[in-house]
Amino acid sequence: MINIVSLSFTFNSQTLPLRTDFYVAGVQCHLSTNSAEILQSVSRWQTPNVDNSSSFEMEIIVDCRLEAAVERPAYFRGNGHLVFGFLPPGSFISYDLLRKYVRAVLSTKAARDDSFWRSLLIPITIGILGTIVGVVPLHCACLEKNGNGLLISGDSGVGKSTLTAALTQRGFALISDDWTYFSKKQSALVAHGLFSPIKLLPDAVQFFRELGELTPAIFLNGELAYEVDPARFAGSTTKNTSRPSRIFFLERTSHPGCHFVPCPSASIRDFFEKSAERLPDELIDAKALRTSLIGTLSALPSWVLRTGESPQRTSEAIDHFILENKYATA
Amino acid sequence: MQPLELSHYSDPLDLLRRFIKTPMKATYRFDGARLGVETNDCVLLPELPLDADITAPCALEWKLIRDADSPGLLEPPMFLTSATLTVVAMGTACLLALDHETRKLFAFIGTDIDALAFREYLVPFLCRMTKDALSGDPIGYFVSWNYDSAHV
Repeated sequence: MINIVSLSFTFNSQTLPLRTDFYVAGVQCHLSTNSAEILQSVSRWQTPNVDNSSSFEMEIIVDCRLEAAVERPAYFRGNGHLVFGFLPPGSFISYDLLRKYVRAVLSTKAARDDSFWRSLLIPITIGILGTIVGVVPLHCACLEKNGNGLLISGDSGVGKSTLTAALTQRGFALISDDWTYFSKKQSALVAHGLFSPIKLLPDAVQFFRELGELTPAIFLNGELAYEVDPARFAGSTTKNTSRPSRIFFLERTSHPGCHFVPCPSASIRDFFEKSAERLPDELIDAKALRTSLIGTLSALPSWVLRTGESPQRTSEAIDHFILENKYATA
Repeated sequence: MQPLELSHYSDPLDLLRRFIKTPMKATYRFDGARLGVETNDCVLLPELPLDADITAPCALEWKLIRDADSPGLLEPPMFLTSATLTVVAMGTACLLALDHETRKLFAFIGTDIDALAFREYLVPFLCRMTKDALSGDPIGYFVSWNYDSAHV
């Protein structure tokens, strides 16, 4: 005889009596829950930041029995329109992409943890569900200065985050670091951020001595990294959205100096298409939306930025380039 | 038959492993209905009566994915049930979901789940889910699930 204690959660109007709406990345979330604390956690996002008719349902059951759940790293799997996985501490989430539903059981510890919401639950949810509700996640950073939105893209490990951090030190407002979430409003491109901090690898301390005062932590992908709040790090502001008008595609070189080389739109389109998550055939509308949005994005003036300089010198070069080429197209 | 390929799956553009191929297929007669099963591991083809009628549509389909990167043994199941889905997590060793409307069930099964555990535990479990789904009541039973009752 095996002694098994199972947990069973039923999602319906009886088990989820509390309701509210909130907005992330311009998308409306209809939330149902059994926890007043959850309502409090999402209250910061209750002001609509973009007029977008897209929405999804999120149902969350908080249960103290999950405190005793086995601790394990984040672990997600999917098939077709269904995605599910464990998310520490003690939580489990399922996504139904066709019906636009998120259902989660959270430990009380997770429900109360601000960083769980800010750094895990919301970014993962928009990352998985976004394309279904009109918000396409793409791997790039977004910053803004004097109303000029710019995107920093490039291959992994090229130094996008250190450059982003250096740009915030030059007064650029941060919209997003690693991932930016794009939607269209009246055919114009809007870039959304999710309040996520900048993630810097330990070797970034050679450029930012102030990191020495912080303690790096292990992130979802197993990397050891510093989590940097731009407001504390650089006195910089953060913004929810921006209208990007330029793309810089970062490349490292061993030669000194920073060189801006116009980049054809086909290369930008190719880069984002080839680096985007594979989507199953069930999600054909999402695929079409992403292709359309990448097409719009690739029409922005774009430059390959070849740099052999430090993040600070490179950020200075970008700042000057934007000032000198305010009306320039690539 | 080709030797089983259970190497670690690595596709940086498919972190959710949606595109793991499941080339082995069989059809069974179960509870008076036709059940289709596809998998990437012949060990996961259940010992149920085969159905020779390959032209008829399946009443329900299982997709059983052997996942070389899902560690551990089966843990007590956790059920998430709603009007359209039943999701069951038994640790990372076995995650499964049944869409009541499309009548498709898929499961990721770790390599630590051997043939015996699959046959003695998971197959009865999957059969019970299937039976309830086919009977039009995919939720009620699992709300009060226990180990003994899984053995039909």
